[in-house]
Amino acid sequence: MRLALAGVNHSTAPVELREKLAFRLEEIPDALRAVQAKGAREALILSTCNRVEIAAALEEDVAADLLVEGIVGAGRGLTSDQVWPHLYLFEQGEAIRHVFRVASSLDSMIVGEPQILGQLKQAMRQARDQGAIGSLLDAVLRGAFATAKRVRTETEIGQNAVSVSYAAVELAREIFGSLNKKRVLIVGAGKMSEGAVRHLVHAGVAQILIANRTPERANGLARLFQGQAVAFDALPQRLAEVDIVIASAAAPGYILTRDLVRRAIELRKNQPMFLIDIAVPRNIDPEVNNLEHAFLYDMDDLQRLTERNREGRRQSAEHAENIVAEEVARLEARLRERDLVPTIVGLQDQLEAIRREVLERYRSRMGSLTADQEEMLDALTRSLIGKIAHGPISEIRRHAAAYTGDPAHGSEVVSAVRRMFKLDAEP
Amino acid sequence: MSVFWLRTAAALYSCGLLYALIYVFRKSTRLFTPALIAFGAGTLFQFVAIVERWVESGRLPLNNFYETSSLCALLIAALFLLAYSYYRVAVLSVCLFPLVFFMTLIGATEFPVGGWSSQQARSVWLLIHISTVLIGYAALILAAVASLYYLQQERRLKRKSLNPTSSRLPPLATLDRVITQSMNMGFVFITIGTATGVIWAFIDSGTRWILDPEIGFFLFTWAFYLLMIFLRVSAGWRGRRMAWLAVSVLGCSVVTWAAHFSLRSLWLR
Repeated sequence: MRLALAGVNHSTAPVELREKLAFRLEEIPDALRAVQAKGAREALILSTCNRVEIAAALEEDVAADLLVEGIVGAGRGLTSDQVWPHLYLFEQGEAIRHVFRVASSLDSMIVGEPQILGQLKQAMRQARDQGAIGSLLDAVLRGAFATAKRVRTETEIGQNAVSVSYAAVELAREIFGSLNKKRVLIVGAGKMSEGAVRHLVHAGVAQILIANRTPERANGLARLFQGQAVAFDALPQRLAEVDIVIASAAAPGYILTRDLVRRAIELRKNQPMFLIDIAVPRNIDPEVNNLEHAFLYDMDDLQRLTERNREGRRQSAEHAENIVAEEVARLEARLRERDLVPTIVGLQDQLEAIRREVLERYRSRMGSLTADQEEMLDALTRSLIGKIAHGPISEIRRHAAAYTGDPAHGSEVVSAVRRMFKLDAEP
Repeated sequence: MSVFWLRTAAALYSCGLLYALIYVFRKSTRLFTPALIAFGAGTLFQFVAIVERWVESGRLPLNNFYETSSLCALLIAALFLLAYSYYRVAVLSVCLFPLVFFMTLIGATEFPVGGWSSQQARSVWLLIHISTVLIGYAALILAAVASLYYLQQERRLKRKSLNPTSSRLPPLATLDRVITQSMNMGFVFITIGTATGVIWAFIDSGTRWILDPEIGFFLFTWAFYLLMIFLRVSAGWRGRRMAWLAVSVLGCSVVTWAAHFSLRSLWLR
């Protein structure tokens, strides 16, 4: 079995494409089933604002194309020709390395942002609920979480991670100067908006309105930040009251249309409005940016702004990449060794069976023996098979440890041992 | 006698002008009713003045620029009062009160007065005129510079091309406030400067002043300024449009200055 991964992310695909490919939470179980039906043993789907990826455990004879089909199939109205140029496809060690880098936030739009780990854990839970996580994905994800933890504690990547929300606050200052007395509307009370609210409260905004489709979540956030929950239907009326809008709701169409924002700005007597759309698919019509007094920024725009911070984090990132490389090598060796375990155990079982058989055959002819002699005989035979097994087993292990990434690596040793000791013979 | 009524009307209209100047800053309509009453009384006096002229001369007083200006002011005032009684469009007063005042003031300068009571009064009056106009221009230049910054900052934000190294521009809202406040201040001072200037020129050079091209330019600049303030107050113009207007008003003023210096020397040549 091997690991394969296909997907698009913020650096390979524009937001217009990503928003079409993104899976809604409730679509993921069906999509997982579809991938499994096509022949994947295990599968995992990670769909965030910045990436859509499918990872799967495939038998050696199954082509990885089925993952590509899984991604393209998600794109409503997209042909594979449109998606292909933006896709990446990794197998084996490359796939493991990619998962580790994603978990460690090295592949994030904003390197070091902490949200991706939670998103990956959620993806794992969903896949586990579908019974799509087996031993391979389990081992890879465990390794990914361990790597992420090491990267977080051993490098400073998380400490100076500048989140999307921080960049947004900086922009708000470019427009409004002081954020005192400014009112903020949060559309969609997700994890992402929670981070944004934290930054804005820190920057001193006067009031926070929260609109969410599920009022409980809106009320929860409102309590947390002494804000005010707003009914989703009341958005058009309340829009004129606020200076800053942060949208991160999961919705199929635009929640804030050009007309809606235009009317709000008229009601505000042309006071500027700053709109941040961190949702994928987007919540705010991009046309809004063409309105006078409206400043609309989406995910891609914010990424460009944070590029400068990326430069300062290069060193930490290098260190982090080394950690990832180490952990990938460790996991690969372990996986390889795990592949060899049946052979080693089989060899030991085979020799033990031979020992018992021979011992039994000759023991009856020996007459009575003292307990000490019995013990000695047992130890002697054990030692004998141990010494015989030592050569082949250490040879197998040596090959596993020196694994180079070549899937055929070491297999000739394994098959030679299996043939010599007749491990595959029918009993 | 009719010129006396006209001057009384101009004095009453000046209450309306005062209200407009205060409104631009404070957005308070508390003083609107007294201003409206004074304005109405002014209209009445102007009407009396014009009817008297009409009776005296036996024909509609449209013989020269002054009389036309005065009659036009009366019509504007009457139409405003009519519109106000129907639609309560108080915001129009911000534009019309100053306009009617100036047109009536010009109408009231048809007959020259005796001249200055003393040379000192002439100098003081001139000093007031020059200093208020200069303060007004200073505020206008501030507004125009802030406008250029505003336009640049707005462009950066719209195009999302914020280069962190060059990010030394003030926030957009701050620039907007600077533009608004300095435009308001500039308007008040330039209006006072215009009024004092018109009166000074009238006393100093009698009826000839109106032919001076620089005064023509100056009045045009002022009218443009008035229009802009009106657009901001009534239509809520701000931001990019306001910035462009501020730059154009400054451009207009530059023409006025050119009229002051180069045109005059050109004409004298």
